[in-house]
Amino acid sequence: MLKLAHKRVAVAILLGAVLVCTSGGFAAATPSVKASPRLAPASAPCTNAAAAEAQVAKQWRASEAALGVPYLTPPKEVVCYVTTTKYKKKGLLTIGFASQGPTNSWAASSDAYVRYVLAQNHVSLDYASANGSGATQVSNVEDLVSEKPDLLIVQPLSSAVEAGIHRAAQEGIPVVVCTGELSDTNDITATVNHDYALQGTLFAQWIVKELHGQGEIAMISGIAGAPTAEVPYQAALAFFKHYPGIKIMTHQYDNWSETQAKTVAASMLVQYPGIKAVWSDSSFTDVGVAQAYTAAHKAIPIVTGDSSNAFLRVAKQYHMTFALSSYPPEQCGMAVSVAIQILEGKTVLNQVQVPNAVYTQTQLGKYYRANCSDNLWVPSLLPEPILKQLDLC
Amino acid sequence: MSMTGASIRQIATSLSGLVAVFIAAAIFTPGFYAEANLVLVAQQIGFIGVAALGQTFCLLVTGIDLSVGAVSGMTMVVLAVVSGGSNSRLWLAILLAIGLGIGVGIVNAVLVTWRKAPPFVATFATFTLVEGALLAWTSGAPSGSIPTDLAPLGAGNLWGVPAPLLVFLGLLIVSGFVLTRTTYGRRLYATGSNLTTARMSGIPTRTLMFSAYVICAICAVLVGLLMSGYIGFVDYQLINTINLNCIAAAVIGGTTFAGGEGGVFRTTIGVVVLACLLSFMLLLNTGNAGQLILEGAVILGAVWLQTGTRSIRYRRRIAVAGIGEASIDNEVNVAPSHAVGVGIDKPTDNRGI
Repeated sequence: MLKLAHKRVAVAILLGAVLVCTSGGFAAATPSVKASPRLAPASAPCTNAAAAEAQVAKQWRASEAALGVPYLTPPKEVVCYVTTTKYKKKGLLTIGFASQGPTNSWAASSDAYVRYVLAQNHVSLDYASANGSGATQVSNVEDLVSEKPDLLIVQPLSSAVEAGIHRAAQEGIPVVVCTGELSDTNDITATVNHDYALQGTLFAQWIVKELHGQGEIAMISGIAGAPTAEVPYQAALAFFKHYPGIKIMTHQYDNWSETQAKTVAASMLVQYPGIKAVWSDSSFTDVGVAQAYTAAHKAIPIVTGDSSNAFLRVAKQYHMTFALSSYPPEQCGMAVSVAIQILEGKTVLNQVQVPNAVYTQTQLGKYYRANCSDNLWVPSLLPEPILKQLDLC
Repeated sequence: MSMTGASIRQIATSLSGLVAVFIAAAIFTPGFYAEANLVLVAQQIGFIGVAALGQTFCLLVTGIDLSVGAVSGMTMVVLAVVSGGSNSRLWLAILLAIGLGIGVGIVNAVLVTWRKAPPFVATFATFTLVEGALLAWTSGAPSGSIPTDLAPLGAGNLWGVPAPLLVFLGLLIVSGFVLTRTTYGRRLYATGSNLTTARMSGIPTRTLMFSAYVICAICAVLVGLLMSGYIGFVDYQLINTINLNCIAAAVIGGTTFAGGEGGVFRTTIGVVVLACLLSFMLLLNTGNAGQLILEGAVILGAVWLQTGTRSIRYRRRIAVAGIGEASIDNEVNVAPSHAVGVGIDKPTDNRGI
């Protein structure tokens, strides 16, 4: 009996491990951290909030203008300018970078752009790759703090890094977070990020406009529970509530996998043949949707997503109607620029919303790069030699 | 292999699960029976089935292969990078992918059979190693795309039957024949049933276990080819789902972790149950969480029923033999030449070995 019991335990452990592995344990496409109301940094005084909020509103308006949708009031957030004179440093600067690791083309481009910006500014880099593991990143941050860089940039994979960030703040090391939000800490000087709420709302606005407020739609998000998927979804949902003519027939997740997206879309096509638009946060989804509808010889619905060369190739091939908002891999590189300003003692925004390309099919020709790989995220700020080095062009 | 009462009960359990899914689908999601959806289910059966067939060989020899997803992912990357999207280099890429896949299978086999590493640890290490090697090779961004000539294999059909299903059925017939009608197959079962006895009977157990891992790796390469043809892109995310699905299908069908029990036909039942279940959940709009919970619950239920059946049979054998449990255990471990006959839950038919 003991042997059988051992076998049962072994089977249970095995299944548990397999479930962990297969439910995203090794996936590392996009940082997944909490996104809730943020605190003003305690490390520096917060000033001129009105001007800071105006900066955010300006970006919302620019994005809305790009898609020709009506103006909306951005959500209320603590955005302000912070003075950073106490962090002012002279001489050769060293910046520590706790990266998520080059686990996919987006992350590889992200790292490459960080190195490029640092080299341009003659700043030395103390780099640690988490290879997509939140646990590895926790120890990476601790190690980087021990090496006492002038500033620490963190590309968070989970909120577990907050302890390390707190230690950095205690030791007087300013911290800049990029491509993710950490809410349970006030130890962060600045966060450089994509506006996920803007993305979700914008796509919803565009769909309402294109369908004239009437029609069946589907929503497909990436990974369930990941804020980068949930924040835009919730923002879009809140917007759609004002338009009862828009009927959300289904909401599915595809783990940002083209294959799963194709399966989801093929199934959706069977159950809801009248779907006119697919709200999605990702171009992975859009590729799958295009393939599923094409295989079924049906008209492809209008779609939304981020901006990859792979999707633009497919969109061009099938003459798709779309609205895209790029998710720039250059965000952490932009965080380097903010970091350098902090080390120069300048006043910076505590919440930096990165500028991104927002466009529709009418501008496909401007953004599609036929001579480059499907893995390229467009538009790219990386110089040509680096794109070649990464085999992207 | 003769079919015992317990085997019949196991198959009946799996089939009843399938019937339950069919009934639930008819009540809650009538769209399940639409032709287009059935084609989708057939495609899923093909993808999951090919991987599950390979996994079945490993499970039969008390092994498991957690590197299936990594090998499939590696195949996609090799296809994209080596071919550069060009149809003229497709065959070269396929041959290289098969070669590398067999290489991974051999590494798994050597670790498990010669170094006696636990299969879970060895194949998990290989999974990580391959994933790391792919990252180092491609920096996370494999260049090139999948040659279009591969599309018919993953997305095509013959008289309306999806190509992946046809590939699976072809493999099923071959592997079914090999396992049930050849000496190799009988020896594979004997090795999984009782390794010591099989070895003492002169069966080349190491070679057989070795072959199981290589076969599994080849199946994983084939899944990579099918998936590449299906979507036309390198899809890293699939690495994580293939492992669970192929193990789940085999276990739901009744192929046990204990080895020597089950087979490809039972696995096929599990594959059909799983593919139908996944489609049903998708139509039911349960989301990822619901899907994982139900899938996990079904696997646990299958394992529960398996171990429950085994426990009952164990007690019955003890009662028939009229001896204590300790004696039985000793008999199995110390006197393996009797174990096949007395074997608690091992096939008693070792003819033709």
